[in-house]
Amino acid sequence: MSDSMNGTSQPVIRVDGVSRWFGSVVAVSDVTFDVSPGITGLLGPNGAGKTTLLRMMTGLAATSSGTVTVFGQPVRDNPPLYRRLGVMSEHETVYGFMKGREFVRMMGHLRGVEDLENAVDRAIALVDLAEVQHRPMDTYSRGMRQRMRLAATLVHDPEILILDEPLNGADPRQRVHFTRLLRQLAAAGRTIVLSSHILEEVEQLADTVLLIVNGKLAASGGFRAIRAALNERPYHVRVVCDSPRQLAAAVVELDSVDAVHVDPDGAIVILSRNVLALQIELPRLAQSASIRLRRVEPLDDSLESVFGYLVEQ
Amino acid sequence: MSPVYRLALRQLSSRWRLTIMAVLAAMPVIIAVLMLRSKEAPTVDEFESAILSAMLAGSIAPLVVLAIAAAAFANEVEDRTLANLTLAPIARWKIAVPKLLATITIAAPFIALSAFATSYVAFLGDSTATAAVTVSALVGVALYASAFVWLGLVSTQAIGIGLLYIVLWEGFFSGFVSGVRLLSIRHYAIAVMHGLDERRFAVHDHVSLAVAVTLSALVFAGFVVLSIRRLRRMDVP
Amino acid sequence: MTAQTITHDESPSARGGTVFDTGYRSYTGRREGRGRARRAIFKDGLRTALGFGRGGRAKVLPWLFIAVLSVIGLVFAIVAGAADRLGGPGTAERVNLPSHADYYGIASIIVFVFAAVVAPELLCPDRRNGTISLYLVRPLTGSDYVMSRWGAFLAVMLAALWLPQVILFFGLSAGDPAPVEYLRKHWLDIPRFLAAGAAMAAYATTLAMLVASFTTRRAYASVFLVGLFIITTPFTVGVADEIGGTAGQWISMFNLTNVPVHVNDVIFGDVSEVTEEAPARALGPAVLVAWYFVCTLVPAGLLWWRYRRLTP
Repeated sequence: MSDSMNGTSQPVIRVDGVSRWFGSVVAVSDVTFDVSPGITGLLGPNGAGKTTLLRMMTGLAATSSGTVTVFGQPVRDNPPLYRRLGVMSEHETVYGFMKGREFVRMMGHLRGVEDLENAVDRAIALVDLAEVQHRPMDTYSRGMRQRMRLAATLVHDPEILILDEPLNGADPRQRVHFTRLLRQLAAAGRTIVLSSHILEEVEQLADTVLLIVNGKLAASGGFRAIRAALNERPYHVRVVCDSPRQLAAAVVELDSVDAVHVDPDGAIVILSRNVLALQIELPRLAQSASIRLRRVEPLDDSLESVFGYLVEQ
Repeated sequence: MSPVYRLALRQLSSRWRLTIMAVLAAMPVIIAVLMLRSKEAPTVDEFESAILSAMLAGSIAPLVVLAIAAAAFANEVEDRTLANLTLAPIARWKIAVPKLLATITIAAPFIALSAFATSYVAFLGDSTATAAVTVSALVGVALYASAFVWLGLVSTQAIGIGLLYIVLWEGFFSGFVSGVRLLSIRHYAIAVMHGLDERRFAVHDHVSLAVAVTLSALVFAGFVVLSIRRLRRMDVP
Repeated sequence: MTAQTITHDESPSARGGTVFDTGYRSYTGRREGRGRARRAIFKDGLRTALGFGRGGRAKVLPWLFIAVLSVIGLVFAIVAGAADRLGGPGTAERVNLPSHADYYGIASIIVFVFAAVVAPELLCPDRRNGTISLYLVRPLTGSDYVMSRWGAFLAVMLAALWLPQVILFFGLSAGDPAPVEYLRKHWLDIPRFLAAGAAMAAYATTLAMLVASFTTRRAYASVFLVGLFIITTPFTVGVADEIGGTAGQWISMFNLTNVPVHVNDVIFGDVSEVTEEAPARALGPAVLVAWYFVCTLVPAGLLWWRYRRLTP
């Protein structure tokens, strides 16, 4: 499931020219994008406006200008829409006095779930908390509370999931479990939007990335595509070989290469705008010069470097 | 029964809160007993103005209701759990009204019992007078509840504003300035009491029963509508 | 947009750690001690109580209270001035219009509500949000913290209680045809109202903070305090009247709203309207003042003790 065209159907969520300001502070500035089924990651530094944007997408907050539509309807002041929407906010407070199961059950009841008990069982099983469901939630650990909140978000089987920093404070095991769960849900055709400031999370999970910086949408799409779009920046490829300077001298003559650095530790870093061509030419060059290539790795084929570029601007 | 109503009932009835409400509600009863036993029993006027109006309707009832109503919404806003309710596919009135009803459900027994006992003791078992006082106390509770539930939704300083209202507006100004009485919940309740038992309370020139009831209904409905409207328009934390 | 070179020249597995000098500098200046910390908390308490730094809404309540208190003083001044103008100098005194001695009695309930609403802001949020631990890991003890907060609120109360009296004094002396003469005759009023104001401020502050130290929700502290003040008044009055005699006098001492007003009466040698009928008056000034100190120092001690035991 990637950012492919979804044919003739409307986007599930459409955010159109949305801005939000608080007095003289602009939190979100003229953001426009569509969200389609699959996992979309909202990425950005803290304070970038992710939470505000998510709250506007869920109708919890009003927009100062612009509209948010879900399934073609405005999301604000439209309670029936919440039947199809599941939202998990970043705040961890729960009704401490309630038992976990009671909480999930109440949320299911409020959302008009039929066959309530089975739905609750299923939701709690999904997050693997069946043993503790009859304990009050103020006895839970932080991770357990998060998972129970997730169960409450899933109990009515919504088509859209909007999750604000869902992995806050999750331990590695929970992370794995959660990732698997989300992929399962997305594979069944759901639309999932999650926000995070942790690159690895988004990199692993999201098909589409929306990069928010200072309230503006800095980039959107698959992160590789974003990287490719930043084509004024050359890729960095690090090569470890037997004779670095000799290779460097040869490599610098290639058209696809912009520059070469030689590191003190003997590796060379090649700056190139045409990695495809480099991939073909480099081994040929090495072979004809009888240089053994021990290691060839792209240094910035990661969301982190994309992030880094864009945030620094 | 509405899940919101049940949730609100649980949120509002912690043991501490209930104990303190009980203590507060017992005060007027004790005073009424004492007043009766004292050598110079007060006149109906004095009793009404000191105990029924000032104490019961003017301070104890609104304080009790404020403490509970604040927990209804203000605590949820502060704890950021309100979104659990607003993100449900139910009409906003199905959130506001159950919360209000739960507030009244918890506060009313204390105040009604207090009013009943106080007037029973003071008026030596006169059923009309007792009924009048009790009903008017309930009217007061309903009105204060509707106002303070709305206040809890609208402001994070709900308690401070509520207290100022109780002490300055109800306690101070409405005693002096007669125009203000038209905007004072305490006086609506007192007017209802007068209206229901004109024989005993007919000394003052308050509004008639019909007007008092109408105004009360309007004020109550007004605050309910305002609460619903606020739920629809606010940014839920 | 200039091109940037990313120097990812270390793969994590290859070599040991290196720290780049990206501008981090450790602090090499002077480190001040406990006194500085206490002053900082005091200053922060002042700002919190008056709503500074938290937007317009936070300023409404405290400044509204201060305004109401000042207006009352102003009204007294105006009314006295008018009376003097109409009936000749000294009329106000003769007719016994409210003046310095009466102010604190009349303003008492407002003062207590002020304390009930604002004082919990200084103590409750820190405990509720856990930020008190951040304070306690500094060179600061729990009692330092609470005493600084107490000091801050006391300062605000003093300002709120002295300002109206100052206004009143200026009003009275300016309204008098011979202001200097007025000053000479009435200068003793100044230390009197300063002392009475301080007494009321200390009392209200201490009680309010003690109650606030028992709960983490501001709302409950406020309602409890107001309830306490509003309810004990008629209750003790009723019981005292009923029982009468010496016992009644002692019970009347438990009328919490009157405690500082009795001290005010003692200082001015006059009787306020609110305490006119209090049986406790019969116990004499020494007892009343001593009781005031009990009612202020014991809660202060309790407050200090409660916070002393706190650890981060």
